[in-house]
Amino acid sequence: MMRVVIAEDAALLREGLTRLLEDRGHSVCAAVTDGDALLAAVAEHEPDVAVVDIRMPPTHTDEGLRAALAMRKAFPGTGVLMFSQYIETSYSAQLLEGGAAGVGYLLKDRVANVAEFAAALERVAGGGTALDPEVVSQLFRASRQRGGLATLTPRERQVLALMAEGRSNSAIAADLVVSGGAVEKHVASIFTKLGLPPDESDNRRVLAVLHYLGG
Amino acid sequence: MDEDIRRVAGTVLRAPFTRRTVRELLYCGIGGITGVIGFSITVVMLALGLTISVSVLGTVVGLLLLILALRVSRRLGGLHRRLAWWLLRYQVEAPPKFQRGTGILNRIDKRLRDRAAWRGVTYNLVKLPVAAVQLYAITIACIGLADITYPVDWVLFRHGATGPMVVVFPLLGGTFNVYGFAGTYLAAIAGAFCVLAGTWLARGINAGDRRLVRSLLGPSSMSERVSELERTRTLAVEDSAAALRRVERDLHDGAQMRLAALAMNLGMAREKLGDDDVARPDSATVRELLDAAHRNAVDALADLRDLARGIHPPALDNGLPSALATLAASSAIPASVTAEIGDRPAPAIETIAYFCAAELIANATKHSYANQIKINIFTERTGVLRLEVTDDGIGGADAAHGSGLAGLAQRVSTVDGRIDLSSPPGGPTTVSVELPLKA
Repeated sequence: MMRVVIAEDAALLREGLTRLLEDRGHSVCAAVTDGDALLAAVAEHEPDVAVVDIRMPPTHTDEGLRAALAMRKAFPGTGVLMFSQYIETSYSAQLLEGGAAGVGYLLKDRVANVAEFAAALERVAGGGTALDPEVVSQLFRASRQRGGLATLTPRERQVLALMAEGRSNSAIAADLVVSGGAVEKHVASIFTKLGLPPDESDNRRVLAVLHYLGG
Repeated sequence: MDEDIRRVAGTVLRAPFTRRTVRELLYCGIGGITGVIGFSITVVMLALGLTISVSVLGTVVGLLLLILALRVSRRLGGLHRRLAWWLLRYQVEAPPKFQRGTGILNRIDKRLRDRAAWRGVTYNLVKLPVAAVQLYAITIACIGLADITYPVDWVLFRHGATGPMVVVFPLLGGTFNVYGFAGTYLAAIAGAFCVLAGTWLARGINAGDRRLVRSLLGPSSMSERVSELERTRTLAVEDSAAALRRVERDLHDGAQMRLAALAMNLGMAREKLGDDDVARPDSATVRELLDAAHRNAVDALADLRDLARGIHPPALDNGLPSALATLAASSAIPASVTAEIGDRPAPAIETIAYFCAAELIANATKHSYANQIKINIFTERTGVLRLEVTDDGIGGADAAHGSGLAGLAQRVSTVDGRIDLSSPPGGPTTVSVELPLKA
């Protein structure tokens, strides 16, 4: 069971998320509508993770993001899942600047797949990463490591993208409908080709991949 | 050759009997008097303003006087322009409306830099000699008319009085005397000559005055026109950027949000149904989720429909009259439309006219407490589309303090249109929007 704080100004989505999470046995400690209330709620409830809409009152621009960045400084142990209708490269860059541990950035569309959304949130709560495929493809496009990426086979690029989203080997295997062993082989090959240190832990693996893409 | 001379002579001699001459002479009289008055007011206020503002204590008062002089000059310019139209049928467009500043210093600055007003001042000053000639012309003509009546006067009013009759002849020396009935014919001839001279002097000086009116009271020099266009272009760009921002915001908070909620409801419903067909989950919950999803889908559709209509009203495709009829039908206050449109305006103009009408109806609904709104749209003169929205409400609308009207005025000015508001306390309120037929 996770303890969750939600910051979302649209009532429909706020209530929907609350219900979705409670249905799955999680506890929603607070559901608030702006950045200040988010910080106050996190301080009060010390949740495992916060789901934060980026655009909230009063300016409807990026107050959610700013609140989330402040929150990560003040409460590093609490995961943050940004939840937005857009993926902005500059937002994901700011969010990942302080490390990818306990960070997520998903399109609101992803909530349609309830199980995956819940899994992503659990990952973030556990100190992992959950990046939207959109974020990852933007990272790929913006990456200066095109030379290295070009040496990968299409399948390996798929696996790399899923790793960057923050998925575990078993999740990648399920997604691509291949065996766990096959994924491990792809991962090893990717790390060799890109010259990354092999690492067993999912979290540190994500960091390495994101660092590589960002470099 | 002979024929030419005869034709010219005919024109010269017939001139006094044309309606145009009456108008020209009237213009000389009225325009001459207003010219002298305008000159006096302008000179007094400018001189006072300038002298007072030199002293330290008087600066404020002097500045206010100067500003007042400028505002009065603008008004006088409008009066002279209108006189030229009424009496000479000489049309000169008004200079661009004054753009009020914000903040006291900016307002003073804008007033002092109001070039149209300064050009009005110039006209008032230059007008004095012109007015003198105009008044001279009408005086000659009137005296001439009086002189022509001398033979009749001699017969009717002489009654045996002795001594000469004094004939005023302003062209040569001033006066001469006649001593008998025969002499009065001379007076009449002199009078006819005066009428002719006055007529042609009036025409000549009025032609000069027309040029002054055009160059000093008209819509300004090329450079001012350019800066006006730059200003309105900025407004147009800002307006469209603001419109796009509004659309994005509406999408984000409306349809996009509802569709996300819809996706969430459907996702949860699918979860409840489970993966295999055998499991029969709690059907009440699933129905509830599907109901919510259904509601969200319907609301999202409504949001998108409103948004699409806000971008381009589909009714406009059939022309303004039918679009305005649709608009009037959805008005909260009963609204009627009369339309008389000749050539169909350009699509951009139709769109602006439509949104003006929509905004004005909304304004009337919000503020006027009216029982009835009349929308009148017609093409006027050549190339002008006029939209009038009248309500029988409480009146007292203020263009400066209603941001809605200011916004409309901005939008309209991007195509060189203008908005006039008449809203006395107690009503009725009429807003008149003038747009060119082509953008």
